[in-house]
Amino acid sequence: MHPTLTHFLVLGAVLFCIGLYGALAKRNAIAILMGIEIMLNAVNITMVAFSFYNPVKPYSTFLTGQIFAIFIITVAAAEAAVALAMIIAIYRKRNTVDVGEINLMKW
Amino acid sequence: MALYQYSWTILFAPLLSFVVIIFGTRMWDLASRHRTAVSPAGAAHGHEDGHDHDGHGDGHAAHGLDDDDDPKVARLSMGARVSAYLGIIIMLASCIYSWVLLLDSTGVLHISGSPLSYSGTDVFSYNWGSAGFLAPYVISFHVDHLAIAMLVVVTTISLLVQFYSQGYMENSAGFARFFSYLSLFTFSMLLIVFAANFLVIFVGWEMVGLSSYLLIGFWINKREKPVEDRPQPAMAAMQAFIVNRIGDVGFVIGIMILFWKTNTFDFATLGGSSSQGVHAAFAGNTTLLTIAMILVFCGAIGKSAQVPLQIWLPNAMEGPTPVSALIHAATMVAAGVYMVARTFPLFLASGATAFEVVAWIGTITALYAALVALTQTDFKRVLAYSTVSQLGYMFVGLGIAGAGDPSLGAGPGMFHLFTHAFFKALLFLCAGSVIHNLHHATHEEVQDMRKMGGLAKFMPITAIAYFVASLAICGFPFFAGFYSKDTIIGLAHTTGFNIIYWLTLATAGLTAFYMFRAYIVAFGGKDGKLFGFWGGTYRGVGTPKEAPLTITIPLCLLMVACVAAGYWFGLFSYLTPGAVDLSFQDIITDGLTWIGVAVAFGGIFVAWLFYGPALGWDKVNRVVENNAVLRFLNRLTLHKFYLDDLYYWLTQYVFLGIAHIAAAFDATVIDGIVNGVASGVTGLGKGLRRVEDGKVQSYMYGFFGGVAALAVVIFVLFAFAQGGVKLW
Repeated sequence: MHPTLTHFLVLGAVLFCIGLYGALAKRNAIAILMGIEIMLNAVNITMVAFSFYNPVKPYSTFLTGQIFAIFIITVAAAEAAVALAMIIAIYRKRNTVDVGEINLMKW
Repeated sequence: MALYQYSWTILFAPLLSFVVIIFGTRMWDLASRHRTAVSPAGAAHGHEDGHDHDGHGDGHAAHGLDDDDDPKVARLSMGARVSAYLGIIIMLASCIYSWVLLLDSTGVLHISGSPLSYSGTDVFSYNWGSAGFLAPYVISFHVDHLAIAMLVVVTTISLLVQFYSQGYMENSAGFARFFSYLSLFTFSMLLIVFAANFLVIFVGWEMVGLSSYLLIGFWINKREKPVEDRPQPAMAAMQAFIVNRIGDVGFVIGIMILFWKTNTFDFATLGGSSSQGVHAAFAGNTTLLTIAMILVFCGAIGKSAQVPLQIWLPNAMEGPTPVSALIHAATMVAAGVYMVARTFPLFLASGATAFEVVAWIGTITALYAALVALTQTDFKRVLAYSTVSQLGYMFVGLGIAGAGDPSLGAGPGMFHLFTHAFFKALLFLCAGSVIHNLHHATHEEVQDMRKMGGLAKFMPITAIAYFVASLAICGFPFFAGFYSKDTIIGLAHTTGFNIIYWLTLATAGLTAFYMFRAYIVAFGGKDGKLFGFWGGTYRGVGTPKEAPLTITIPLCLLMVACVAAGYWFGLFSYLTPGAVDLSFQDIITDGLTWIGVAVAFGGIFVAWLFYGPALGWDKVNRVVENNAVLRFLNRLTLHKFYLDDLYYWLTQYVFLGIAHIAAAFDATVIDGIVNGVASGVTGLGKGLRRVEDGKVQSYMYGFFGGVAALAVVIFVLFAFAQGGVKLW
């Protein structure tokens, strides 16, 4: 069976939901960060799939989606670096990475 | 015409003295009193146990400053005296100017060169704005014959009352304040007199209400006296104000109906023949005009204390007696009569019905008040009911002249108003003299006639004055009331109002009875000289003395006026062009006159028989108490036919009940809605506050939930836009 656009979209949606669950439900800041990375990559898959199966000129070298995915990977790497740095800084100060405990600015 | 053009100075003179006294000399008085207050108040304190009088004892006596009126404390500072002099001098100037206007307009003097025409002249006019819809709202003063006749009454009585008050109020706290109020009262009344339209008359109308409120409740610390059935002055003032408001509701609605149809407030325009006149505006719809005029008359019912709004006037006796004189003679109750006289052409345009209502209300009031006055024991209350009764006569005079003989105009009613002002002022000032002197003699406020008796031998001038005024009010031949009252009674007969004729005639007899009952019980007695008319046993304590000159001079002047006022026979044609004047010849040769005189003599004779040497108070009282029927009748009139109690009951249970229901509705439903909205919003805020918890994760729940919901909505919308749901 040849993979179709639907297969990739379902994969992207499933990965996005897994990432969303992780980002929403986890207390650990690292786990949330991982959830967000999964969501970003789910979007990347969708982008590449749409680009590859574009109805104008299928299976072509029409590379908009791929380029976008590379941008997203770049930004995600930077984001992971900043986020991990913040999480380490918070851990040093508060000795925890539980987001429920990080509430100094709360009302 | 310059003489008339500047007559507005009469109007503003009392306002000037009010302002100067209240902001100037009164402050001076208060400032000087503050420094010296300690010593007289402390001195009064020492005497306090001796005369814990008229109800304000107890806690109040502990600090002597709360004693409003105390003969042992002189309250007159220089500032207070200057206040009085200022008020009197300004009023004297106004009074002289008024008399000059009267004499010039009647043609006795020739100062202006051209006497005032019947239509009068506008003396002041100010429009609120030039826009068309503001055109009817004009502040405008007008002087004509009717206004001048009233002007003379108001300024003369005010002058005498202010002069008299110097003596009467000398021991009263707030002497300066009293004079400022008197000036304000006069100004308010003059506003009514000068009014050229309904707006100005209504402003004056309400200001009279305010001034009477201030003056009736003048003694702010005096308490209620349940034993003598006398209310607290503050309550009496409140009652006067509120009862007047009830009448004013009708007055305002009446004015609004007139304005609705004619788009003008001006008396001359309303009475005129233009398209804005009531003749044209209400053509073919005189029923509505009749209703409007009866509603306007409602205002007069309230202001002039006619049945069914008569209850406030006797209670207004709680004010200082000079105020009673002013209210009863010139300023307050006369306003209603004057207003009807002023709007006479409008009543006339509405046909006879409105006038008949006026006449009948007047008749019922005259009879009712005379019956109640028969048994009152309070000296001032007898006079109060007699005023109510005499006001009834004035309305009868206006009503039957309008319904039966319109060519006479407002003449008969205004004639009685004119004469009554003088003799009623005299009666009240005499009563005030008696109360003042007894206050000094007994250190109590004695108003009960049973504690008087034989006063003529102590205060002969007061007694003679009271006697003269009583003769005048009874219609004793050749006194003022003889002409004015018998004119009204005779007119009732000649115009064919037979029932009104008999009732007013009977009332004349009752009037003579209660006036002489009061005179004999207070000034004479069973063992008095001159058939009991002079002196006798004094039933009170102490030795009363004759009043000071400030009191007796106005009495003497008014005694002259009591006789002289009746001889203005030209009044009818002075007020109304073409009216047939009274003539002395006709009056004394008319049989009807002598019937009236005979009835009055009958009343005087019965009073003399009951309370003079023949029987005496005790014996009459014993007979009445031993006879079931007489006892019942006595109680009935003593309790004012229980009308006051009925009103009390109505207020207490019906109106207050409605008020409580309305208050409960307000507290539960209205407040419930308002508070519900407020607490709902607060609760919502409390709930919503939880949403913003600072956790990015919970925001993400909202964000992604929203995205998901939006996705579903867009999906469904697209699906429907493409003609049905095809999922795959």
